[in-house]
Amino acid sequence: MTEAKTVLIIDDDPDFVRAVGHLLQSAGYVVTTASNGREGLAQAKTVRPDLILLDVMMEDRTEGFFTLEQIRDVPALRTTPVIVISSIYSDHPVFRVSPESGWLPADLFLPKPIEPGRLIAESARLTASEYAGRLVMEKGSDVR
Amino acid sequence: MKICKIPKKDLDLFASVLPAFGKLYAPVSRGSGYVFDQPLSWSEISLGYPRTLLPPRKFFLPPREALFSFDAREGYRDLLAEASEPQVLFGLHAYDIYGLNILDRVFAQGRYADPYYVTRRQHTAVIGIDFDPDEQHFARAMNADFVDSGFDLFLSDIGPDYLVRVGTSRGDDMVVMSGCLLSEPTQADIAEFKRRSSERHAAYRTEVELGDLPEILEMEYHSAVWKELGDRCLSCGSCSMVCPTCYCFDVADEVDLGTRAGRRIRTWDSCLFKAHALVAGGENFRKSRASRIMFRFYHKQRGFVAEYGRPSCVGCGRCIGACPAGIDIVSVIRMIRGQVDAH
Repeated sequence: MTEAKTVLIIDDDPDFVRAVGHLLQSAGYVVTTASNGREGLAQAKTVRPDLILLDVMMEDRTEGFFTLEQIRDVPALRTTPVIVISSIYSDHPVFRVSPESGWLPADLFLPKPIEPGRLIAESARLTASEYAGRLVMEKGSDVR
Repeated sequence: MKICKIPKKDLDLFASVLPAFGKLYAPVSRGSGYVFDQPLSWSEISLGYPRTLLPPRKFFLPPREALFSFDAREGYRDLLAEASEPQVLFGLHAYDIYGLNILDRVFAQGRYADPYYVTRRQHTAVIGIDFDPDEQHFARAMNADFVDSGFDLFLSDIGPDYLVRVGTSRGDDMVVMSGCLLSEPTQADIAEFKRRSSERHAAYRTEVELGDLPEILEMEYHSAVWKELGDRCLSCGSCSMVCPTCYCFDVADEVDLGTRAGRRIRTWDSCLFKAHALVAGGENFRKSRASRIMFRFYHKQRGFVAEYGRPSCVGCGRCIGACPAGIDIVSVIRMIRGQVDAH
């Protein structure tokens, strides 16, 4: 029997957390949550989730970006798949740095509102044992 | 030099893309002061800080670093890779950048370039920001209140926006990557920059005369001031630790218990420490505290001028706040000049 995968949702919107939490639980995931970046980082260090869903605009409108840097700074979380879920691009059109350009150390960016089927499919893909990881995707695309 | 501007309200978005150029460090509040550290969020960054406890030199000359390891079977292995970790220092004041430029002269442009320092300097982006001087700043007197090199970007407050001076191609990459967050400044922006620059220059409250100081120090070699300072100095080295341009270091080998492997370690040192000039055989060339504090002043205000054409002090005022004995560099210079009586 395969052990259930754990997903950590870091988002300050309790409605979003509840809805997405139920969605993932119904798909067989164990869900744990945090309502801000600081709490999310602490949870990530202790829970060691198989996948992190990360909001950007929380107390600060760029909080998720900073949290992601902190997550990547923890050796045990360096390759943990992270899906950044945010409406920052639509809310702030002046911010036009594409998440596909390699600057964001996430595995995937999904704009809010999310499409449930897409989230389930991507969660399954990123937590599958065959997933090669972000580092492979990053080659040649990162400014660093 | 390319110049652009960014609205202050969008600086958080700009800072979000900076980690693409390295680990981001910025001034954040810690306890009763400020330090350069990794911020957990944009609101944790304090861009209006007066000065940090330690200068940014810690990112280039760490308080303690392993230079290489050695093993009886495998030989030597340099540890330069650790120094290649990209980093972005956000929000440095001009005098601290000037301090780095001074360290460059010693560690990068001198006869013997230090590969560890040079590697860190190459892999570190520096973004400066202007500030309002307080009563401890005397950077203007040290000609370190404005920099035209040593940074990738420099932000100057012009009201609702920051005027951004681009100092390097890496800085230009940052601008390009940020897309439309930055734009061309107008003539009115330039005029505001000039107005505020003059205003800031005039805002310094602490003045020190430097012109003939090296000669006066030469004349005051046997001054009673040094004895008085020696009596007050605790030789704690705090002034050295917080100085942006102090670079004395100690080197020692740490050998494993089996004595077959180890590492060479470089740590910060201070010319004020009692053992600083202690050599094999037990001779100590600077036994007295008076001689040690005197030579610290002579190195910064006289020896460095002779060697590099300017004092190595940048007027940040950190040593004034750090000294538990209340020794104040500005007062010392005035005492030497005879402008203030020795206590």
